[in-house]
Amino acid sequence: MLITFLQRTLWLVALVALQMMVFNHIHFLGYATPLPYVYLLLLFPLGSNRSAVMAWGFVCGLLCDIVSLTPGIGAAAMTMAAFIQPPLLQLMAPKDAVEDMKPSMRTMGFWPYARYALIITAVFAVTYFAATAFNFFHLRDMGIALASSWAITYALCMLCEAVRSK
Amino acid sequence: MRALLEFIAKFYHWLVFVALEVAATMLIFRFNNYQGSVWLTTANTVVGTLDSWEREAIRFVHLGQTNTELTRRNLRLEQNVAFLRARLDSLTHDSTVSERLHSQRMEGVDMLQARVITNSVLRRNNLITINVGAADGVEPEQGVVGGTGIVGIVYMVSEHYSIVMPLLNSHFSMSCCLRDSGYFGQLKWDGKDPFFAILDDIPRHARFKIGDIVETSGFSSIFPKGLFVGRVSAIENSDDGLSYRLRIHLGINFSRLDDVCVVRQAFQPELRQLEEQADSAMAAQ
Repeated sequence: MLITFLQRTLWLVALVALQMMVFNHIHFLGYATPLPYVYLLLLFPLGSNRSAVMAWGFVCGLLCDIVSLTPGIGAAAMTMAAFIQPPLLQLMAPKDAVEDMKPSMRTMGFWPYARYALIITAVFAVTYFAATAFNFFHLRDMGIALASSWAITYALCMLCEAVRSK
Repeated sequence: MRALLEFIAKFYHWLVFVALEVAATMLIFRFNNYQGSVWLTTANTVVGTLDSWEREAIRFVHLGQTNTELTRRNLRLEQNVAFLRARLDSLTHDSTVSERLHSQRMEGVDMLQARVITNSVLRRNNLITINVGAADGVEPEQGVVGGTGIVGIVYMVSEHYSIVMPLLNSHFSMSCCLRDSGYFGQLKWDGKDPFFAILDDIPRHARFKIGDIVETSGFSSIFPKGLFVGRVSAIENSDDGLSYRLRIHLGINFSRLDDVCVVRQAFQPELRQLEEQADSAMAAQ
């Protein structure tokens, strides 16, 4: 339990630090900003307490907000994504998965994991950019920023997972 | 209570979700200028709309009271209108040309107010009794007028009452003329319709039309010139065919006659005495 907590804390610190030092400085073509700290949510095993997942997501998002000067936006997006993570994983986990299966390409298979990560990152990105834009008058710009950021974020999460699974 | 606790335990994650989202949203609005301004604007709009709805609702609730007040006010205004209309009528009653001329003609003439005691319109020789007599200065052969025209001539006088020979009497005859052309003739009643009289002896060369006004000619000391009598309603030939006979729609409605005035001209006795002397002198020659 404690080890799990420490592991998550390490992941959290690492992701926040990466966001602060690296990804916050990337604005690909002026639109795309990678937000890979959502990867923290992909780590929670099957049967996790939803409230606990949301609390981790909120804290992680809030820390990233503090270092990114976007107070509340990341926290709201992470909470939203964390809210759907446990039931989504339940839905996409293999039938013969163990009770506390840790989601990964190895345990779930590539495509189920890819879909799982795709949905979580999509929910996160949509919430994040909706809160950032806060209006729907510039749908085109918002759509480009959302799609590009989501794509990069998703790619980074998959890359991270691929490296971790080896 | 237990059911409530079970409910909360079952949906605890929903409460956590809402609480965290609310906290995040508050942070967004509190520390992000753009989102804060949008929120403020939207909140103002929403609050304004809600305030407007509240005002409308309160107004609707108070409509009954407003309606009562309006009804009361309307009643008061209607009373004012009725009072003012009556006042206006009394001040501008003779606003038509005939009635205005009528009142102008009566200026300088001593008028004695009287009430009709008895009246009839169905007989050939109708008579009217009024409640003023010799004690009030009434004498035979004084004219009697109503608000809208000539009524008749005082026929007999007692101490406190007088008998008036109205237009609706076969013995009545007086000189009248057409206001526009000035042609005159003798006004009589044919004993048929109490609303119509006959104006005889209008020359054949006279020019007039239906609706022309007939008024007193002033050729006697009884009535001053220009008092409204009626309007031409039909044109016929006289029995001998040498003149016109005009059917006159009388201005006075004798069926509803109530208030009249006795006309007392200042020089009437002197004029009558002079006429009598002239008649006597002519008879002596």
